[in-house]
Amino acid sequence: MCAVQGLFFVPMFSQFRSTSIRWALAIGCAFFLCIAVLFGFVYWQATVYLTQHFDRLIEKQASTVAALPPGDWNGAVRERADSDRVASAGIFDAAGRRISGNIAGFPSNLVPDGVAAGVTITRVDPDGPHTQLIRAVAVKLGNGERLVVGRSIQEDDAFAKIIERALALSLLPALALAMLAGALLSRGARQRIEDWTALVGQIYAGNLQQRLPVIAHDEPFDKLSAIINGMLDHIEQLVGQLANVGNDIAHDLRTPLTRVRATLERARENAQTVEELRGATDRAINGLDQSLNVITALLRIAAIEHGRRTTGFADIDLAEIAGTAVELYDPFADNRHVQLDTDFRSALPIVGDRDLLFEAAANLIDNAIKFTPEGGKVSVAVFRNSNDVVLQVSDTGPGIGEAEREAVTRRFYRADKSRRAPGAGLGLSLVAAIVKLHGFRLDIRGGPGCIIEIACPLPVAGGADGKRNQSVAE
Amino acid sequence: MAKLLLIEDDEETAEEIIGELTHRGYELMHAATGTDGLDLARAGGHDVLIVDRLLPGLDGLAVIETLRREQIRTPVLVLSALGALDERVKGLRAGGDDYLSKPFALVELVARIEALLRRPAEGRETRLRVGPLELDLIERSATRGARTLDLSPREFRLLEYMMRRPDQMVTRAMLFEDVWNYRFVPDSNLVDVHMGKLRHKVDAPGEEPLIQNVRGAGFVLRADV
Repeated sequence: MCAVQGLFFVPMFSQFRSTSIRWALAIGCAFFLCIAVLFGFVYWQATVYLTQHFDRLIEKQASTVAALPPGDWNGAVRERADSDRVASAGIFDAAGRRISGNIAGFPSNLVPDGVAAGVTITRVDPDGPHTQLIRAVAVKLGNGERLVVGRSIQEDDAFAKIIERALALSLLPALALAMLAGALLSRGARQRIEDWTALVGQIYAGNLQQRLPVIAHDEPFDKLSAIINGMLDHIEQLVGQLANVGNDIAHDLRTPLTRVRATLERARENAQTVEELRGATDRAINGLDQSLNVITALLRIAAIEHGRRTTGFADIDLAEIAGTAVELYDPFADNRHVQLDTDFRSALPIVGDRDLLFEAAANLIDNAIKFTPEGGKVSVAVFRNSNDVVLQVSDTGPGIGEAEREAVTRRFYRADKSRRAPGAGLGLSLVAAIVKLHGFRLDIRGGPGCIIEIACPLPVAGGADGKRNQSVAE
Repeated sequence: MAKLLLIEDDEETAEEIIGELTHRGYELMHAATGTDGLDLARAGGHDVLIVDRLLPGLDGLAVIETLRREQIRTPVLVLSALGALDERVKGLRAGGDDYLSKPFALVELVARIEALLRRPAEGRETRLRVGPLELDLIERSATRGARTLDLSPREFRLLEYMMRRPDQMVTRAMLFEDVWNYRFVPDSNLVDVHMGKLRHKVDAPGEEPLIQNVRGAGFVLRADV
């Protein structure tokens, strides 16, 4: 068993390890992507905002300068052009030649409409010309000259670099964090699976009391645990029953077999004539038949309990079946001086297996007669109440104690009072199995004596309307 | 004597059956697989086939179905292991004529084979006569010689069943299946009780007993007393 277990669990584990790494990677990648998209968005938005901000700034400066008296223009331009590589300004004549300022020539693609645009200019600096990408605005001055005010967007680039650096700096830890989270998440799941595997391994090894932990009831894992635990409860119960049944079978088989053995042994030693030997053999065969009957009954119960038999199902008349069973048992009841009464009031057909229901009825009547003392009475009735057709067998015997009513339908159970009745251990469990197969109800009540009912629900044809029609028809 | 073909894979069971039937004077052929059995059965010359339900190679039911398709009408007794509920129905549907579940008493097997060999033609006769017994199926009256027998409907049917099979052993299970039309009686002694009542009416004190008990097996109606 260990070898099998090893073969089964080892590949599962290694597979699982690689699965958890893949998980961590996947979660990490997802994290990384999210952060990159977020930073990209921030960068884009910030750039748009800054550009608009500077555009408005230079547009305002241009209009301020243009509003000055013409004599102050060149001074104002020089003042602005003085700034260190950030600000550019210039006044140009109609042909585009520089009059003042630090811009070499009027930017060819700049329209003098007072609206900022991105242009490339050549700056005239003390240390020589520089080509620069700037945002610039041009306005026409009153005398036909043109004023240009610009601002380098190198500053914006610096801002972009800050964002890029922040992105780079935060991405690494974020990625690490994501991997860690992924690893933790999948390790948590893996840990649970490993715990489970260990627990299930214990159960497999025979510890049926072991259960899987249920932490939170609405988690999928825990729901699964709860279902498996329910299954285990059922299995444990069945195994327990099986053990009892095993003991009971051993008892019920050993008694007749021991007797057979003794009979044969005695005959072998002591029989003087063939007749004596034959007599002993007959007794032995009877004993063996009794054992075989027990086995047959057990196998039948098992077959019925596990059967999904509906092939034999047809419309049948419970009263007809009960009537035949009563007729069959009448002489037997007579011999035991038990009165056998009938009261059949329903001939409504029910759907079921004729042979099995006959067997059930016969078993109930058989039991009732056997447990009823001489001079007592057994009544068999078929009637209908609101929802069911009912077969009722009642007797004036000792009855079945309330505590024992469920137990008597189990295999081999015998109420203590009936221990002396031969072969009565299986009848009611057979009945219970047949009733269950049909989806009927078995009801055991105390009266005086004992009342056992098989209630067969009427088919609800056409729903509530069908029911109403039926009761109208009555 | 009648020739039988047994198709059964379990060696010990086969040996038991062959031993018992040979002892009783039957001539037996045996096949241990479905395919062999089918070949032998096709060759013909058998009066009854005894076919186990579960066989290696070709399943017992398939053997029977194949034979029936090929218009081979030899009576078949199906044997099967205990348990499954539908087995009997399936066996009979496939074309089997009778069905016996294991473990069975050998006398039961013999009685069933005997019944298949001597299957009564369900004739249209209105009167049955066996020895001094006479049954009027229309009047539903029974007489033994000059004496009228007062029988319950069930007893009448029991006697009719016996009279259609004179000198043939009928087992309790056969009676229960054919006269009561149910299977699985919880206590086979119940049939004895009914038969006892019938016998009490048929065989009055001093008269030669016509219904005889075969110890541990069933009953025989003697025609030649």
